[in-house]
Amino acid sequence: MWGRPNLHTSYRSETSLLPTWTQRVAMGIFVAVMVLLPFNLPVINQLPFVRFLGDQDWLRIVTQAVIFGIAALGINLLTGVAGQVSLGHAFFMGVGAYSAVYLGGSPGSGTWGHELPIWIWLPGAGLCAALVGMIVAPAAVRVRGLYLGIATVGLVFIGIHLSRIFPEISGPSETGRSWPSLDLRLWKEETPLVSFSDDGHWLWFDISGAQKTYLVCLLLLALTVLVSKNIIRSRTGRALQAIRDRDIAAEVMGVPETKYKLIAFGVSSFLAGIAGALFASFIGRLPPETWDLLLSVEFIAIILIGGAGTVAGALMGTFFVVMMPRFMEELAGWMSEQSESGGPAGKFWDGVVSRGDDFGVVATTDIARGFALPASSLDALIYGALVIVFLLFEPLGLYGIWLKIRNYWKGWPFTY
Amino acid sequence: MTKKRRIIAALTCLGLIAAACGDDEPAGSDTGAPSDTTTGDTAGTGTTTGETGGPASTTGDTGSDTTTADTGGDTTTADTGGDTTTAETGGSSVDPADIEFDVGIDEETIRVGMLADLSGAFAPLVTEITEAQRVYWDKVNADGGIAGRQIELVVEDNAYDVPTHLEKYEAIRDDVAIISQSTGSPHTSAIAQNLVDDDLIAIPLSWYSGWADADFGQNVFETYTSYCIESMNGLEWLNKNRDVQTVAIISFPGEYGGDGSTGARMAAEALGLEVVYDGADQVVPPTAENANPDQSAVISQIVEADPDLVWASINPATLGSIMSGAIGQGFEGLWSGNSPTYSFKLLGTELAPLLDQYYIASTYIVTWDTDVPGMEEVVTAMTEGKPDLPVSDVYILGWTEGQVTQAILERAAESGDMTRAGIVAAANEVEVSFNGLAPDQTWAGEPNDFVVRESYIYDVVLDQYQEASLGEGGGSTGWELLEGPYTSDLAADYQYEGPCFEPTG
Repeated sequence: MWGRPNLHTSYRSETSLLPTWTQRVAMGIFVAVMVLLPFNLPVINQLPFVRFLGDQDWLRIVTQAVIFGIAALGINLLTGVAGQVSLGHAFFMGVGAYSAVYLGGSPGSGTWGHELPIWIWLPGAGLCAALVGMIVAPAAVRVRGLYLGIATVGLVFIGIHLSRIFPEISGPSETGRSWPSLDLRLWKEETPLVSFSDDGHWLWFDISGAQKTYLVCLLLLALTVLVSKNIIRSRTGRALQAIRDRDIAAEVMGVPETKYKLIAFGVSSFLAGIAGALFASFIGRLPPETWDLLLSVEFIAIILIGGAGTVAGALMGTFFVVMMPRFMEELAGWMSEQSESGGPAGKFWDGVVSRGDDFGVVATTDIARGFALPASSLDALIYGALVIVFLLFEPLGLYGIWLKIRNYWKGWPFTY
Repeated sequence: MTKKRRIIAALTCLGLIAAACGDDEPAGSDTGAPSDTTTGDTAGTGTTTGETGGPASTTGDTGSDTTTADTGGDTTTADTGGDTTTAETGGSSVDPADIEFDVGIDEETIRVGMLADLSGAFAPLVTEITEAQRVYWDKVNADGGIAGRQIELVVEDNAYDVPTHLEKYEAIRDDVAIISQSTGSPHTSAIAQNLVDDDLIAIPLSWYSGWADADFGQNVFETYTSYCIESMNGLEWLNKNRDVQTVAIISFPGEYGGDGSTGARMAAEALGLEVVYDGADQVVPPTAENANPDQSAVISQIVEADPDLVWASINPATLGSIMSGAIGQGFEGLWSGNSPTYSFKLLGTELAPLLDQYYIASTYIVTWDTDVPGMEEVVTAMTEGKPDLPVSDVYILGWTEGQVTQAILERAAESGDMTRAGIVAAANEVEVSFNGLAPDQTWAGEPNDFVVRESYIYDVVLDQYQEASLGEGGGSTGWELLEGPYTSDLAADYQYEGPCFEPTG
């Protein structure tokens, strides 16, 4: 039968991932759209807000969002579910990335690398990061809340320092070193079994490297979502939530704090490591400063804006935060076009944008003078404001807004 | 079953909306189908090249003064500008209409891409450089453009972020003919391989000796001299003209500091100078988290060693803190260093009198309002084009970037092949004259033949320094040319085999 959203007749149905058929169908459509996104297919490319995402440059951002989604799910487990504030997420991503390049990268003059295939370097990246995460975890048993946040900030600086004293791993500081590409090899053979980064021909379709990379990352994200969902709805997840809500009470109830914090740090760092390795491989060449405090803060913003503790929220937050700068830029371009069009609407937008000297909020010239700010600076402001607004008014973040919309339509047209 | 009906109704609505919002044109068609290639013949290459003149003239012209403008009757372009020196740029030996072209060029426009940092760490500098390039192309367009085509700039902001740089590269790669600015070393190196794959060339706004590596920076065309040669020139000049006998070398760790300090050490050895303190790699670079790190170790070593000269490969902010620290402790030697070590903006700080007294500056191009042939043109165009901007040295950088790009494109136009491959070929044989703004540049032949060996030596003159906007006039960045373009004996004899400093990796 169709099932009712809040009616559960068994424990099994209450904990199932998609309890109703509506949800299953919606999820099916969503997954299909995500998979077909990069291809210029007749139906998909007609969807508003979707059709341009498949373009070359947008696909890069979407892929980056997908990769960051994996890391966001990691920090969501640690900070959202287990309540351990961590500002060291960028460090764990860095550990993953450098483990990957150590295992899978090609050695150069003065750099180390073992050219191992992806099925070693990708899990290896996760495992190394998890190991480091578990070394850090005991500190989380001793310090709580903000203090843990401050303690983990130190990791980021240690990481950047280590990258400076080990150029053998991180490469020259100006350019970084090049990461192994996403190719499936059995061992160190010349031609890869399956290349995920070069243009090619799959089944009956021509497929570009960017599309392949996107699909691989999407697959890994889907796996991560499953793992993450399963952890949250299992005994481990409940234990973590108990620790988040009151660690002493949890311990009194028989939840071993040290063990579960170790698990939380381990899994979270594992996912960060995988994401870091994927990201570095996707970009191809990164300087060590990539893994800085700002990146960590970005992840905190992701889960706060998206909705702490929820898988869907973490993903929404990721897409929002990763894509917002580009949207702002497009928006500024659009506003400046509108302001030139004339008419009352044009007048309105002319008041909003500034071309140097005239009044406006958004500057469209490269050099902004006076009150107006360029789009690139505005998005940082909006971002900060959003974090505050969400914390104050919508602690569940974008996910909470989604819930409200959903509940509204549930009772439609009798919502009151 | 009202729910079912509701879902169907909602889906129908969604479907209608989706259909309404849809675009009738097949979407996503911007994925780079190259514009039609005209297969015009390239006959007529035998005629002598018309003198292209102007600021960015290719020096390879045969000096014939028979201007062959308007060979092909394409009169719309060659006589638009009033300026007679560059008006005949359309008059290359090949009829502009017959030039082969593919991506980023059509019959009327040439699209030039820029991946500039307009909102990141170097935005204050790069925006001004970008503005100078805009002014430059406005001028070129007013003078008739290149090969009868107007230049259209496609400027994208990379926010000094590697992923964004790649993303923006992806956005313009099928849209432009050449990239006239790619800000940043890690950023440019991240696209280096893509450039080769796409047959696209980029002029980096970054001086990294790795670009000379043919495997790596094949399509990255770096301009001006290297830090290493700049150091040799600087030390030899100071040795001959300021009687420097002992030297301390300080630098940031990494490629920039490594290249600069290695050059200084090589020069000191060759000139018989005593290196009393080798502080290569010892200066702590400022970071976003710690903008003013503690430099006391380096300062005390300098004071203790008491050299005639401190040669630095650092940045202006760090120079400020080290110089004031050392002089505060009684050090009285001279200071000099690789180009970004000093900036005229330091003259706006309390350090100004010390710089005036102790600092000799070395640069790879001339500074604002230096008395060279091409300068008047820059000053006039900038003052007219951007009267609100402050007086600054960095406009020369943007201007020379434009000159390089124009020279490459004109060379390609002359050979009748403005396809991507044609532009790459042109870049590998072009000779760029900067009309005095910088040492002439070419990338033809072996690196040892074309590596730039000239640099400029300046004195810092506080009395001349005057902050002003371009429109107000009278502004000065406070430099006085002592010698330049200067090639030291060391640099002239130097056999270039690769970067002085081998970065790991």
